[in-house]
Amino acid sequence: MSILMNDSTRVIVQGITGRIGSAQTHWMLEYGTRVVGGVTPGKGGMSVEGVPVFNSVLEAVKETGANSSVFFVPAAGVLDAFLETIDAGVKLIVIVPEHIPVKDVLKMRSYALEKGVFALGPTTPGLLVPGMGKMGIMPASLFQPGRVGIISRSGTLSYEFAGILSESNVGQSTVVGMGADPVVLRNLADILELFENDPGTDAVIIVGEVGGEQEEKAAGFIARKMTKPVATYIAGRYSPQGKKMGHAGAIVRGSTGTVAGKHEALRTAGATILESPIDVAKWAKKNKLR
Amino acid sequence: MRLHEYEALDIFEQNRIPVPRRELVSDIHEALRVAAEIGYPVILKAQVLVGGRGLAGGIRTVENPDQMEEAVDELLMREVKGMPVRKVLVCEKVDIARELYLGMTIDGYSGKPVIVASTEGGVLIEETAKAMPEKIAAIHIEPSFGYYPYQARGLLRMLGIEQKMITAWSDIIGQLYHIAIRYEALIAEINPLVVLSNGGLMAVDAVLEVDDSALSRIRFPLPDRVDRIENPLERRGREIGVTYVDLDGDIGLISSGAGLGMASMDIIGQKMKPANFLETGGGITADLLYRCMELIMMKPNLRGIFINVYGGINPIHEGAKGVIRYMQEHNLRIPVVAKALGNRQEETWEIFKSGGVHVVTEAATEKAVEVLYKLVGPGDKKAGRKANKK
Repeated sequence: MSILMNDSTRVIVQGITGRIGSAQTHWMLEYGTRVVGGVTPGKGGMSVEGVPVFNSVLEAVKETGANSSVFFVPAAGVLDAFLETIDAGVKLIVIVPEHIPVKDVLKMRSYALEKGVFALGPTTPGLLVPGMGKMGIMPASLFQPGRVGIISRSGTLSYEFAGILSESNVGQSTVVGMGADPVVLRNLADILELFENDPGTDAVIIVGEVGGEQEEKAAGFIARKMTKPVATYIAGRYSPQGKKMGHAGAIVRGSTGTVAGKHEALRTAGATILESPIDVAKWAKKNKLR
Repeated sequence: MRLHEYEALDIFEQNRIPVPRRELVSDIHEALRVAAEIGYPVILKAQVLVGGRGLAGGIRTVENPDQMEEAVDELLMREVKGMPVRKVLVCEKVDIARELYLGMTIDGYSGKPVIVASTEGGVLIEETAKAMPEKIAAIHIEPSFGYYPYQARGLLRMLGIEQKMITAWSDIIGQLYHIAIRYEALIAEINPLVVLSNGGLMAVDAVLEVDDSALSRIRFPLPDRVDRIENPLERRGREIGVTYVDLDGDIGLISSGAGLGMASMDIIGQKMKPANFLETGGGITADLLYRCMELIMMKPNLRGIFINVYGGINPIHEGAKGVIRYMQEHNLRIPVVAKALGNRQEETWEIFKSGGVHVVTEAATEKAVEVLYKLVGPGDKKAGRKANKK
């Protein structure tokens, strides 16, 4: 079992004719993902890696029965394509591109929540269900099927944790990149809830980083609702603090955002704190995870 | 990108927010001329891109021409929180009856802009927020509907503001929000927003931080952002399209993601000291990693180099070619350890090995850092381990 993707997931790739879109379509197909179509306005009728290309998302959905979409669209065009995708009835959207203006992300998030669409990113490697498929750019060689869920703010660190677990013969149920931007389309606690409700997941690893308040808010969910073991690593202990600019953020958020503050909130909620990534192997062994 | 105060004040003035009379100067002669025009006393404000400037001694009141030379010299010689002062803003000194606070930022968790106001403005606003939360009021704006004036009126009523001031203050809130939208600001702030002795409101300070991802579509003239990075290595990083942060250690670092880079710093920091943070993002090519090697080697006395990259969106085999080309052309003597996993990893390992790079094929960064540690040792333990940003 898994979260977000399953046997009925049918994926379209938006921006499929671009350099990255076509290369990643190749890797997604090679991993067994059911990629049923692609969209690039004006390039309908082409084919990329054997996948038919459509001019609009609505056309792609009608012709292929797609219910999920992964984006390799240039940042400036993402908001427009995102709204189009929601209006076409797609229910799961992964936004890989980085450098999308925050103003656009606020609108995307607001519309997705209003329409009940589950969206990940921006700046996410996407998600991967070992042995089943992937939407995004995660390099398949690092993952293996199992029962541990991973949620990561950083793309590269999601690979690192999956890789360390796989080398210890501990597999993953689903690996989710939630996106590295200050505003993301879904909060950490929402993804945690999916893992809590997934019969195929026995435990969850949260890979966080300094800044923002996603981990602190998720700690509230862990304390109230989570029955499965949670381990967490927060990157950035030795990172220099950015130059402070203005007080508004500090007034709104108080002292949240530091590694120590996140550790404190998560430890109090009952999560295990991993001091270094490699400690995840010991934690998995102790909890008899596989 | 954060704008200088003088730039933000100009934008505020263009958008009908009252601001003091002022002019930017860079030497004593200009300062004397401007102060004579404005009339004494004047306020001198160091133009540096850091917060907490007032408490760090970057603001001076000058009563007469005799005091000016010493004050200007002192400010221009000074570093404020490590930043050199190149320009000073000479401002009219206004009669202040009361200091308020007004700010707008993005609340990342709710995904909405938030407007914050307080009756207790000034340098101690953050302490006020903790000690007297009832003096702070905040409202969130729905991104799909935008801002409406009733929200400002409600915000100010929460603070117990008298009706006659609500109209003037809510106009300024509306203008500030308008500026934040037009300039794609992540932070727009007036601290303090002052009540003058004649009852009017004026922004005597201005903070505006623009979303870097939106710079290309802002239709208003903005200064070149590369120019305002003081550290030459960090400026070079921006020029070649990577994030580089200068640190005080002696182990060079190249990583292909921010999270991985931070974790690498944390792990290197356990026994050694990183000389820099460098994150390439998703744009690796052979040329880019060649330039990254050039960049990290601009720092003298590196003892070793640690490369930590994943091939997800990045063609790491291309990156490896750039690294070894640099090593060969410059006859590099210090050890280079690389952990590179993902798409085309075997090919990448071969390329690295052919150039004399120590390749680690396990996933845990700790193991790769241990390989580097065995090659270079602990180095100078006396220097501070903690990252120290210039």
